Amino acid sequence: MSQGFVTTVVLLVLGFPLIGSLINAAFGSAKRRGLVNIVGTVSIGAAFVVSAVALIVMLTAASSHRAVTVTLWNWYVVGGSLSVAFQATLDQLSIIMLLVVTGVGFLIHVYSVGYMEHDEGVARFFAYMNFFVFSMLFLVLAADLVFLIIGWALVAVSSYFLIGFWYERPSAVAAARKAFITQVIGDVALVIAAFLIVTNVMSPIGTHIYSLSMPTIFHNVASFQYGSSTVTWICLLLAIGAFAKSAQFPLHTWLPDAMEGPTPVSALIHAATMVTAGVYLIARFHPLFDRAPIIQGLVACVGIGTSFMAGIIALSQVDIKRVIAYSTMSQIGLMIYAVGMGAYAAGMYHLVTHAFFKALLFLGAGNVIHAMHDEQDIRVMGGLGKRLKITEKSFLIGSLALSGIPLFAGWFSKENLLGYGVLNGPGHVALLLYIIGVCINVLTGLYAFRLWAIVFKGEPQTARPAAAHEAPRIMLVPVVILAALSAIAGFFLWWPVAFGSVRVQDFTQFLSPVFTSITSGPLAHEPGVASGWIGMLVGTAMSLIGVGGALRLWLRREPDAETVASRIPRFITQLSMHKFYFDELYDAAIVRPLRAVAKWCRKLIEPEIMDGWVEGVGIGVDDLGNTLQPFQSGLIRDYIAYMVFFALLFVIIIVGVVVR
Amino acid sequence: MSTGDFQFLLFLGTLLFMIGATGVLIRRNPLVIFMSIELMLNSVNLVLVAYGRALNSLAGQVFAFMVIVVAAAEVVVGLAMVTRVFRAEHTLDVDRLDEMKD
Repeated sequence: MSQGFVTTVVLLVLGFPLIGSLINAAFGSAKRRGLVNIVGTVSIGAAFVVSAVALIVMLTAASSHRAVTVTLWNWYVVGGSLSVAFQATLDQLSIIMLLVVTGVGFLIHVYSVGYMEHDEGVARFFAYMNFFVFSMLFLVLAADLVFLIIGWALVAVSSYFLIGFWYERPSAVAAARKAFITQVIGDVALVIAAFLIVTNVMSPIGTHIYSLSMPTIFHNVASFQYGSSTVTWICLLLAIGAFAKSAQFPLHTWLPDAMEGPTPVSALIHAATMVTAGVYLIARFHPLFDRAPIIQGLVACVGIGTSFMAGIIALSQVDIKRVIAYSTMSQIGLMIYAVGMGAYAAGMYHLVTHAFFKALLFLGAGNVIHAMHDEQDIRVMGGLGKRLKITEKSFLIGSLALSGIPLFAGWFSKENLLGYGVLNGPGHVALLLYIIGVCINVLTGLYAFRLWAIVFKGEPQTARPAAAHEAPRIMLVPVVILAALSAIAGFFLWWPVAFGSVRVQDFTQFLSPVFTSITSGPLAHEPGVASGWIGMLVGTAMSLIGVGGALRLWLRREPDAETVASRIPRFITQLSMHKFYFDELYDAAIVRPLRAVAKWCRKLIEPEIMDGWVEGVGIGVDDLGNTLQPFQSGLIRDYIAYMVFFALLFVIIIVGVVVR
Repeated sequence: MSTGDFQFLLFLGTLLFMIGATGVLIRRNPLVIFMSIELMLNSVNLVLVAYGRALNSLAGQVFAFMVIVVAAAEVVVGLAMVTRVFRAEHTLDVDRLDEMKD
């Protein structure tokens, strides 16, 4: 690929969504709904077409020539010591992210046309959505850490806008704020990591030109020892950034609340793209992580722990979107686990398939909510399958893919991911993580089919499901396409195909130049064929147990789910229902003390000290003015008298002090 | 010129200056104020000439002439202003000319 081609691709891919966003922001309104819908969807569709062309061109190139970094703009160069340039990298990793973001994004935008049909803020919605896509593409294309951080913050701010889209709802505003504040913790960690990189990673090779260009960082980091403390600290900070973005423990509480946003937002930002940016970050910075085994272990443990916890919570939630949100958290936990184990390609593979089936589940849930007139509580649903036939079938495919039922997309990616961990990594810990991982398979099957069974099967719990109607065609087409992708994407990405001069490799092989070109740590080696098979068989068996259990508990109701729940120790069900009390914990540990400090400041510092000081200045000036005011009489005589008086005083001082 | 004469001239100059200054401060008629200013100027002339004589220098007398010229010019401008003010305000009481306050 030539530099010129890549530059064109980058400019077009970034330009379409940005221009779409600007047009909708400047000229869009509810009255011009047609224009808004066309601009909003076509801009993303065009970006997808450009990305697809770029993929085809990339595939025609030899695999060693597929990564191209171009410099689009020199932001600033400080006297030969620091340079920051907007560099973009188009390589195997970023093209996959581009395709996922624009492809799934395009389908979700089309869906939004139907979903937002009666909303007055449709122009604002599409302006935000396009801006989000722009930010996300900016983030994945950036090859300079400074611009990566800018993209990182821009996606957070678009997420903030979209969670708080219905700003007249106090709960939406609170959720938006919570998400933003949590993400800022990650932003700060990233910025500190950038500082550490500037001061430490640039010096060893003796150059004094500091640069945050990622290829340079990866080149320089090769001179660091395995397990070096500098790299460990940098990776810890990068991991915190990734955890905040990807809703991992302990920065995970914002994701369920983020479901206050419109459902397409949840599908695009909080399932398919933005929350997976943490996985992308760790994969992108693998040369650093490969040198920090402690942090790799930490990342893997946090990922699997979050995944397990979210799986348990998802079992007891009653809000349809929250169940899917916890499922998202759980699946991203698995991806984080994979990249922590050094299985970067496996993590990215699951990222792609997850984007398909999770977007599908969210859009399906959107159809259900639409049909139920904004009702999200699954306890009042039931029997919707008779009414929403297409949605129900698509949702079923999504759930099958999510649970990892053989031959659906999720099966390929998840068993690949878990199988990677079996004999890979430091001994017993890796085995333990793997065992937890397959237990998560059971949980996944349980909560996925619990949701499906309660919402679509059984008897309607209220009169409303009986009156529900299927969504309009524009909302069904994206769902059906995503369902098809969830069903076949596994094959698509698994088997190498060749036609003409275009060689399509399997996913892992396609990505492998990115992950091995610079360096690889001792963890990053391919699993043996045997361990892969064992992992697959065990994982598949566990998934089937989960699905079977869910169907017995919630579909056939023998035994009934409630009676089973009553037999489980009470503290477990309580933990699940109260989301492990994290909201309460943070409320008590952070929110309330802060609020107390704020109140104290309001009561004491503000009126007494701040106001006192400010008002004191005002009062003092006023008094001074009142004192001096009579001296301005307007009479020349008085002024001359002052003159004479001060002239005399001056003479006396001169005579008294200077002359003597 | 003896030291006593010189001291007397300085004393006289100071006295005239103070009379002039007092006149400026307490009189209300601008014409009288002008006369007082002239008195102050001339007291200064006296002191200049006295110093010139005592130090045996021409500079004092040169400055005195300078002051006389400036005083003449000043009177011309000042009297013109007084007539203008009288036409505008119909009064010559300087205590009632207090628009500068506003």
